[in-house]
Amino acid sequence: MSGTDPIFELKHVAKRFGKSRVLANINLQILAGERVALVGPSGAGKSTLLGLLNGTQLPSQGEVWVFGRNLARLSPSQLRQVQRRIGTIYQQLHLVDNLRVIHNLNAGHLGRWSLFKAVVSLFFPLEVETAAQALFKVGIPEKLYERTDQLSGGQKQRVALARVLVQNPIVILADEPISSLDLGRSREIMDLLRDMSEQTGQTLIISLHAIELALSHCQRIIGLRQGRILFDVPAPEVLPEMVEALYRIENARTEPIQKI
Amino acid sequence: MPQIEHKAIQNSVAKTSTRPTLFNQRSLWSLFGIAAIISSIAQTGLFRQDIINPGGWSVFLHFLIASLHPDLSPELLSLTLDATIVTLAYAMYGTAFSVFLGLVGGVLASQVWWQSVFMTYSHRQFQPTAIAPWLIIRALLSIPRAIHELIWGLFFINIFGLDPLVAILAITIPFGAVTAKVFSEILDETPRQPLIALLSSGVSPPKAFIYSLLPQAFPYLLSYTFYRFECSIRSAAVLGIIGAGGLGYQILLSLQSLRYEQIWTFFFALFLLNGSVDFWSALLRHHLGSPNRLDLNSLKLQGSKRPTINRQSHLILFASSIGAIALLLCSFSIKIDYTKLWAPRTIQLLEEFIGEVFPPNINTTQFGELFNLSTQTLAMSILAIALAGLGGMLLCFPAARILLPGGVLNPISQSPHHWFWGTIILLLTRSLLLISRAIPAPIWALILLFILFPGILPGAIALGLHNLGILGRLMAEVIEELDERPLRSLQALGATSPQVFLYGVLPNALPQFIAYILYRWEVCMRETVIVGLVGAGGLGRLLTEQLSSFDYKSLVTTLLCFIVLTFGVDLLSASFRRL
Repeated sequence: MSGTDPIFELKHVAKRFGKSRVLANINLQILAGERVALVGPSGAGKSTLLGLLNGTQLPSQGEVWVFGRNLARLSPSQLRQVQRRIGTIYQQLHLVDNLRVIHNLNAGHLGRWSLFKAVVSLFFPLEVETAAQALFKVGIPEKLYERTDQLSGGQKQRVALARVLVQNPIVILADEPISSLDLGRSREIMDLLRDMSEQTGQTLIISLHAIELALSHCQRIIGLRQGRILFDVPAPEVLPEMVEALYRIENARTEPIQKI
Repeated sequence: MPQIEHKAIQNSVAKTSTRPTLFNQRSLWSLFGIAAIISSIAQTGLFRQDIINPGGWSVFLHFLIASLHPDLSPELLSLTLDATIVTLAYAMYGTAFSVFLGLVGGVLASQVWWQSVFMTYSHRQFQPTAIAPWLIIRALLSIPRAIHELIWGLFFINIFGLDPLVAILAITIPFGAVTAKVFSEILDETPRQPLIALLSSGVSPPKAFIYSLLPQAFPYLLSYTFYRFECSIRSAAVLGIIGAGGLGYQILLSLQSLRYEQIWTFFFALFLLNGSVDFWSALLRHHLGSPNRLDLNSLKLQGSKRPTINRQSHLILFASSIGAIALLLCSFSIKIDYTKLWAPRTIQLLEEFIGEVFPPNINTTQFGELFNLSTQTLAMSILAIALAGLGGMLLCFPAARILLPGGVLNPISQSPHHWFWGTIILLLTRSLLLISRAIPAPIWALILLFILFPGILPGAIALGLHNLGILGRLMAEVIEELDERPLRSLQALGATSPQVFLYGVLPNALPQFIAYILYRWEVCMRETVIVGLVGAGGLGRLLTEQLSSFDYKSLVTTLLCFIVLTFGVDLLSASFRRL
């Protein structure tokens, strides 16, 4: 794989859940080291697109290529090999609340660890140093042995970031990582994500609602609306009209109700 | 004007909403239930023949009077202590092994495991590839579950002789299957986002489970384990009766030699053991945030309240360390020879058993008798659960704390008078419930046989009494866990206590009561076997006869019939509960 090959390539991808079409005819290439924001209204298909990229979902039509391999053609164990190099950050509810922070961080090692080591670590935490460093980088080193449900929402999101640092993947996907945080916390988390990808050269793909943060922290903005790509441009080229078109609420929907 | 308006409202109400008819699905099912109970009573031959044995009253009285002066001689007390430890040890080992089986089986019987293995967890529907192994394991688990511990015990006695292994295996196998089923349901109900986060970063399912679903579900798994331990204690006492030792065995020996003073000593030990284990377990389950079994049954895991962490973790530590110490002590007190499990003689006997069973003995002449016994068994289970359900519903209210000053039905009163009588009533009903559940059903049956002629009636009453104690306690827990806010608001608008009871307590509690009763009906059906052992009729009697006469060929047929009946009752109960 040479440096110019795309990390992700989507070819004519469509995704349906039953009768409802979530994504239609998506063509997309993402190169190594890019920082990409996926923006668009709720239900535009952002989460589904991220699910296709990390292999948790398969397309109904078309092909998803990751690291030069077609995901649909991989066996479960081959797929796991690919997934270990993709780190996904979900909202904080993806942490296990009644485990200590250290174990939620060490979960980032699990792709490499043996089952035995994983079990032992639950009783005598192993590789504490790596976890402590990751937690230091996200700014809450003192929480290492705290129970996760004792943390605030912002702190949990930092733990989720630190877990990805422990996993040390090639690509980081983040599914609305700041949707439950206030503006100040959101900015801090976005700063952390940007710094991480700048320092390590990791590719970063974030789905976001906050368009301002997308513009200030990412290089490339992809606008999704009703399962289609509305625009895909460098951040400086995003115009207010484009954003307005992205979030416009259609009146057509309300009209039939008024007729009754 | 206002009158016209009033008329208009009345008219529109009359047009839009008609009074619902009293004949609906529910009332039809209730009629069906009442009809079932009446026909079951008819089965017992009540009103047609002599039921009560008048000659037995003096013996029965003698037995009752003995409760006032139990045998407290040092020899018997030390015997009682030994027997208690044996019963406790069986329950400990049985629980430990069945929880281990349940953990492995529970993971393998859960949908989420197979979805993780086949990586179909993000699909909206359960994929066919994952359904096949899941269905196979579910089916495999349902068979050991349908056969009562006692039948397993009698079977293992034929193989191992009188050995502690008999009791432990007899508890482990059916309880392991039940635990696996419940654990799998808990795992399927646990929020999956943390699991999916791990699986999507390429972690293999076993590691992902250990780092997400298992720790998340841990409080629920632990609390169910304690509930299982309560059940194991009762089961270990029953298993004593077939000769496996412990309190049940001693009670049977004393009953056969008519030493009523000794029986009462053993009874008191049984009350103490049951009472303290139930109390401890209830306390723990309360602090673990999963107050009763129904919560696990109806699977509302996300909504249930969590206690504060420090307290919880301390309690867990405390309880598990006590448990570990007790288990250690017990393991020293009874000698278990595990090598017997794979000894050549065991394997030889198993081979003989399998060789004898096939082909099973099925001939058409049996069918008439089997059908007869099946209806008897069904009637016995229906009568038992009717008695247990009614009695439980009557006794659970005084057994709950709502009547005490400060409780829901008596919030204002602070008078010491009310405190005194409230506490007395509470303690009285609670000990009544404890006594009726601590005494194993076959012992109840033997006591009833003093004054009743053998038949399905003493069996049904014995089962009913034992289950009444269990149901009453579970129902009292339901009442104490009721959401108090609607009740307080009723009080605030001036409702009297009976009105609060009628409009607040009863409507909230009744659906849960019915669910418990139906669940216990399934258990009663399985337990008809154990009263059959002491001659109370039905398929149970036939099963135990065939087992003790080594008639394995006919045994398989009877067992099949019993399993079909059990599954039928399970199915019926599940469809009632869904109404």
